[in-house]
Amino acid sequence: MRDLKHLIFFENLLQEANNDLVKQARNEGRKALGYTCYFMPEVLLDLPGCFGVRLRAPRSGSPDMATYYMSGRTCHYGRSLMERALEGGYNFLDAQMATETCTVTCRFQEHLERMNIIQNPDFFCEFCDVPFKKTENSYLHFRKQLQAHVLDKLHEKFGVDVSDQALLTAIEQHNEVCRLITEIGSYRKLDDPTITGYEFHVIQLVTQVCPKDLILPYLRETAEEMKTREPDRKRTWRVKVALSGAENDDPDFTKLIESCGALVVADRYCYGSLPGREEIVVPEGQTPLEAIARHYLNTSMCPRFMPQDLMRGRKQYLADVVKEYRADGLIVASNKFCEYWSYERTMDALILPRDFGIPTCSIEKEYVNSASGQLRTRFQAFIESVEIKKIQEGAKQ
Amino acid sequence: MKKIDLNKIKNTDWKKAARDFWYGKPHGERRLGELYMPKTGLYKHREWRGVKDTFYYFHNIWLYNYAQMVMDIMKFGGPVTFAKGLWRYRWMGQTYLPVLHWFDRGLEGMRGEALRASAWHYRAMVCVTINQFMGMFKADANLHGGEHNDAWKHTIAHKETVWGGIFYPWQDQFTNIPMEMIPYFVTCHVNNHTVLNYIDAVQSIGLPGDPCPMCQAEAGLFVLDDMPDYAPFVVTTNEACDGSVASTAIQDWYLDIPLFAMPQPMQFDDPLVQEHCANEIRECWKFIEEQTGVPFDWEQLKKRLERQNELQRFEWEKWDVAANTSYYPINGVAQALYRIYQSQYGDHYIWHDVDKRVRKIMEKCVSQRIDTFPKTRHRVIAWSCAPLYFSNWCTWAYNCWGLNCVINMDSLMFDMTIRTDSLDDCVMDMAKYHEWAPMRRMAVGGMHHIFELWENMERFHCDMVMMYDQLQCKGMQGVHGLFEDEFRARNIHAIWMPHALPDKRTVSRSEIRTIINDYMTTVMQEEPLDPSLLDFDDSESW
Repeated sequence: MRDLKHLIFFENLLQEANNDLVKQARNEGRKALGYTCYFMPEVLLDLPGCFGVRLRAPRSGSPDMATYYMSGRTCHYGRSLMERALEGGYNFLDAQMATETCTVTCRFQEHLERMNIIQNPDFFCEFCDVPFKKTENSYLHFRKQLQAHVLDKLHEKFGVDVSDQALLTAIEQHNEVCRLITEIGSYRKLDDPTITGYEFHVIQLVTQVCPKDLILPYLRETAEEMKTREPDRKRTWRVKVALSGAENDDPDFTKLIESCGALVVADRYCYGSLPGREEIVVPEGQTPLEAIARHYLNTSMCPRFMPQDLMRGRKQYLADVVKEYRADGLIVASNKFCEYWSYERTMDALILPRDFGIPTCSIEKEYVNSASGQLRTRFQAFIESVEIKKIQEGAKQ
Repeated sequence: MKKIDLNKIKNTDWKKAARDFWYGKPHGERRLGELYMPKTGLYKHREWRGVKDTFYYFHNIWLYNYAQMVMDIMKFGGPVTFAKGLWRYRWMGQTYLPVLHWFDRGLEGMRGEALRASAWHYRAMVCVTINQFMGMFKADANLHGGEHNDAWKHTIAHKETVWGGIFYPWQDQFTNIPMEMIPYFVTCHVNNHTVLNYIDAVQSIGLPGDPCPMCQAEAGLFVLDDMPDYAPFVVTTNEACDGSVASTAIQDWYLDIPLFAMPQPMQFDDPLVQEHCANEIRECWKFIEEQTGVPFDWEQLKKRLERQNELQRFEWEKWDVAANTSYYPINGVAQALYRIYQSQYGDHYIWHDVDKRVRKIMEKCVSQRIDTFPKTRHRVIAWSCAPLYFSNWCTWAYNCWGLNCVINMDSLMFDMTIRTDSLDDCVMDMAKYHEWAPMRRMAVGGMHHIFELWENMERFHCDMVMMYDQLQCKGMQGVHGLFEDEFRARNIHAIWMPHALPDKRTVSRSEIRTIINDYMTTVMQEEPLDPSLLDFDDSESW
């Protein structure tokens, strides 16, 4: 396939948390607001005068200092963020909009709050409580939390305009990003997709770590470019897979899977677009904030939701994604020491093949996947097994 | 035939020998470690505690409790139900008979009032335990040919981290029984081999080994189909951590009955979260009404809460004595287990019976100024979550080193009474109480509460910390370094005790003892009170 015009630019933006577009926005006097989780609605952080940066720790090595503080028995992602913070990599942040949605990222953010790590005199860290259900009680609670701990704080500390009108404008911009990402992502549903999983992963990530208004022109151009992009004459992949699981902000991981002969056609993981890039609709009778609170709870498929229908519904959702994106199999990857995804992955690996007939590969990984040789072997074996299954099914037909 | 050593007889201090016989050897001269049979932890012979205490232990603790264990079985369901459960469930078969060994481990070396008061706490826990498992067995469809009998229809199942008080409004007609409290939590105190099987079971279906072993064991019970089918619906919660939420998904898969999730807010200091939490409790009550067809009973709730408040008020008195005197008659393990059990399970008649007896003993100690742990060298506070397979470490540490564990984190969590003047006030207080759940308020929960350690050290006049280091608890591992920093900055002696809650294979009891021994000899430069306890092999012990 023809190279995407901005791919190298996008890749470069992912080399540092404080990337060129972040620097540009800060130079314009806007406030950089860090966050780690989907449950912190990024649309609220993209109000005029500020912008959200979903934290990553690209090019991480061994998180030694963080391991002193958080021990070697916690999730590598949380520790890598902590290490990067201790190294000064997040000193550009003006605030951290925190959520206690999984233990280790919570602990990382509590360290930011307690230890004066971020060398920025105005820096503050503010926590939101996020409900575990999708009920009226939960929506109301979440709305109040967002009002008190996000909007009120941004207004009080930075004088940000948090009026309904400002929120509607932010929603409009956010929705355009979602529309473009969904459009670009939809090419993965083709019989011969015209975008690779790696490319899409990079594009999706830049929308989370850059100011939206600054990345939008490049996205528009990329979406335009995609309309005429042709697939390779000869397939470079043998099977299509959906990738599901825990936190994953490493496009090289997707690249690793694709280098083994699979094409990653769906990204159902933290930092992925399924779910995450659905447009926010503000129905009549609801305030923008209410709609936002509902949207983020309703769209999330996080394993921390506890009601019976949601626990079971997540499996159906995953099966639907596999079907919609015409994947031949599913890879479920959890980060070592991630409690939520350890269980979710175990269940997915049992239920998806049994109840939905979807071949599933279950793996555990680190934030930095230095053991790529081992993973490669696992992926190659899985791809081979799916391929054989396809051949056998073809022969039967 | 053994020769009689006349010299030895000649040199014997008969006065002292008589005193030792009558009162038992004084602490410092005892060699308790020599009583053990290698590996088993069983005694070669009964510990001689002097005439009075040995007879008290034999009659009023051993025989009394064996008799009570039989009587409780008769009272709560009868021998046939008991025998069926014993036969069907592994956790039951492996733990009923070793119960008195659990007493022995916890009460080793105790004398006088400390022996008596601590043993009463044990008695209460045994009674409530029998009450619960007999309740499960009476209702269990597995033991009744698949039939859902009347008891099944009148039992409510819930996760052990759901506070029993939530079900008070129905307690005149329904019994609430936590799913994991007996099969997992109590059993691994009594017999530390039992839960290993459940941990292995859940890992055998693909779960990695690093999640919290408590949640693993709780899920493993279901994987092995070792959970009674005793209730038509279940109430769950997110307490205390991610693992608890995640493992519920596995439990739900096996249970397949209506489930109500009653999550508690994570940021529980935030005044804004209280209403949300209270509403979750109200929603739960609505669910129970729907499931049972029985309306919420405010009078029942009020009555039970007032009884629970009585327990809390006495606990405060106990803390006062523990904090400010050396007359507190309850040892570290009895304090920790009784308190967490009582405050989490909720009201039960036996807590009141036992508290009355303990009050009497405690008042005697205070009025007569009885130094209950006279060989105390250090007053210790235990913080974070304890190793369940070695909860009696405090007894060992006192006997061996004079480390007196005065109080622990689990005891201090539920530090409130609940208002019963109006339903609204009551629900708000219940919400707060539930938010302060075990392992949440001062462990996995917000960082501010974790460091309540310093205030409590001062309050209880402690000079040392036994810092539990649950190796698979992400919440506590995530603040490891900050504790190190604070210990150094405050010049506090803290011993890190690594463990894996129920899983003794990760860090054995013997390794834990070695860690404490090493600290006491190398850092504190102290000599043991009883060197025979320094090193012994109890790897096969219950």
